[in-house]
Amino acid sequence: MIKLKNVETVYEGEKTPVIKDINLEVKRGEFITVIGPNGAGKTTLLETINGLLEANGNITVFGKDIKKYGTEIRKNIGYVPQDFFCDSLTPFLVKDVVMMGRFGKIGLLKSPSRKDHEIVEKTLSFLGISELEKKPIGKLSGGQLQKVMIARALAKEPEILLLDEPFSNLDLNSRSDISEKISLLNEKGMTIIMVVHDINSIPERCERILMINNGKIIEDNEREKVLRGAK
Amino acid sequence: MIILPSKIILFAVAGAFLTGILCSLIGSFIVRMNLSSLGFCMSHAAFAGAALGVVLSFSPLMMAMCFSTVVALILGPVAEKAKLDTNVVIGIIFSLMISLGLIFLSFSPGAAMSSTALSILWGSILGITIEDILRLLLITSSIILMIVLFFKEFQAIMFSRKMAEASGINTKPFYYMILFLTGITVALSLKLVGGLLVFALMINPASSAYQFFYDMKKITIFSPIIGVLCCFLGILLSFFLDLPTGASIAITSSLIFGLSVMVSPKRKRG
Ligand SMILES: Nc1ncnc2c1ncn2[C@@H]1O[C@H](COP(=O)(O)OP(=O)(O)OP(=O)(O)O)[C@@H](O)[C@H]1O
Ligand SMILES: [Mg+2]
Repeated sequence: MIKLKNVETVYEGEKTPVIKDINLEVKRGEFITVIGPNGAGKTTLLETINGLLEANGNITVFGKDIKKYGTEIRKNIGYVPQDFFCDSLTPFLVKDVVMMGRFGKIGLLKSPSRKDHEIVEKTLSFLGISELEKKPIGKLSGGQLQKVMIARALAKEPEILLLDEPFSNLDLNSRSDISEKISLLNEKGMTIIMVVHDINSIPERCERILMINNGKIIEDNEREKVLRGAK
Repeated sequence: MIILPSKIILFAVAGAFLTGILCSLIGSFIVRMNLSSLGFCMSHAAFAGAALGVVLSFSPLMMAMCFSTVVALILGPVAEKAKLDTNVVIGIIFSLMISLGLIFLSFSPGAAMSSTALSILWGSILGITIEDILRLLLITSSIILMIVLFFKEFQAIMFSRKMAEASGINTKPFYYMILFLTGITVALSLKLVGGLLVFALMINPASSAYQFFYDMKKITIFSPIIGVLCCFLGILLSFFLDLPTGASIAITSSLIFGLSVMVSPKRKRG
C-alpha cells in the first residue's frame, strides 16, 4: 500500500538530507509504530510518506506516484501533526476545523452535505469531544486541540492514518482511550503509522516497530524483537 | 447645474461603496494569512507605475494598475522559486518599488506633472467616472463569486496552508489567486483612496471584524460592511471638514479599528 525505495528528503535550503536510504513497504491493514530520538527524522518520514515534503527516490501510495498524484492520494491519508499550534484568535470553530479534514474529499465546487455533517458529528462523539463542537479552536487546551486534530484526520475516513506523537498532550485516561480507538480503527482495516516517544504507550495491537536514528531506519522488525533490543 | 454635481456625488458614493466592499473583502483574507505587508507593497508598486507613467506621459493610472498587477502576478512564483518566505519577497519588492518610483519622479519634467503621480498616492474620489464604477463592479462581483465558489478551500488555507494541503487540497492556485486579486484590488482602489491608503482600507475593517467573531463566514460578511461604513463616514468627514478623502477614510477606519479593539468581546476577561 505504501512503498518507499531509496528515498531521501532534503529540507528547502538545506544541503544534507534529513532522512536517507529509506526503504519501506507497508501492507494494507498494518499498524506500525515509529520510534527514535528527537531529531531522528520521524516527523520528516511521515511528511515524506504523504508527500507534504518533496523527496528524492521512489514513493508510491495506493500504487500511485506521490509526486504526480499527491493531492489525490492525500484525500485518503489522515495526518495528525505533532504539536499543532493555533493562536487564540483563530476564527474557526471546532466543527469547522474537523469538517476541513473532509474538504479535499468533498471536492471542488461542492459544499458539505448533510452526510458530511453527520460524519463530523459521529467522529466527534467517537472521540468523546462532542461538547467542544461549537468552541473556538483557539480556546482549547493542548490536549483538547490534539483530539480535535485527530478528529479532523478521522473525519475524512482515510485508508491510511499517520499520527505524529498523538499522545504527547494527553492525560493518562485519554491516552488509553485514544489508543484503544486507534486500535479499533486498525481492526476495521485502517492502515496506521504512528510516531511515539514513549515505548510504553505503544498499543498492544501494533506488531511492527520501526526505529529511526540519524535519518536512517536502523531497525524494522516485530514488536517483541525491537522492544527486547531496546531494553 | 444641479444635475452635474449630483452625478459626481452619485459616482463618488457608488465608488466608495464598491471600493469599501472590495478592499475589506480581500483584506479579511490577507489579514488572516499574515500578508498585511502585501497591500503595502502593492500600493508602492502602483506609485512606481504612476511615476513611470508621468515620465513617459502615458496614463499614470493605467501604469499604476499594470505595475501592481504585475507585482501581484510575480510575487508568488518568485517567493516559491527563491524558497523564501512570501513576506521577505514582499519586503524586497516594496523597497525596489519605492526606489523606482522616486527615480522615475526625478526624471519627470515638472512639479505639476509629479503632482499627478502624487494624486495617485492620495486618490481623487470626485474624479471617479462611470468606467471606474463598471470596472469596480465587475471585479467586485467576480471576487465575490470566486469566494462563494471556493469558500471551502480558502477557509482551509486560512486555517493552515499545510493542513489544507494534507487534507487533499492543491493550495497553490488558491494562494496565487489571493495574491493576484490583492493586486487587482489595489489597482482599482487607487482612484478612491489612493495608493498609500488603500492599505488602511484593506487591513483596518478586516482586523476590526476579527475582533468580534470566531467564525470565518461572519468575518467575510462583516468585514465588507465595516469597510463600506468606513468609506461613507470618511467621505462625510472629508466633505464637512474639507479634508482629503483618502486620508479621512483611512483615519475613520483606524478609529473604527481602535474602537473594536476596545469593545471586543474576544479581549474581555472572564
Ligand atoms: N523545516 C526544516 N528545515 C530544515 N531542517 C529541518 C526542518 N524540520 C526539521 N529539520 C531537521 O530535520 C531533522 C529531523 O527532524 P524531525 O522533525 O523529522 O525529527 P523528529 O524525529 O520528528 O524529532 P522529534 O522527536 O523532536 O519530533 C532535525 O535535525 C531537524 O533539525
Ligand atoms: Mg517530530
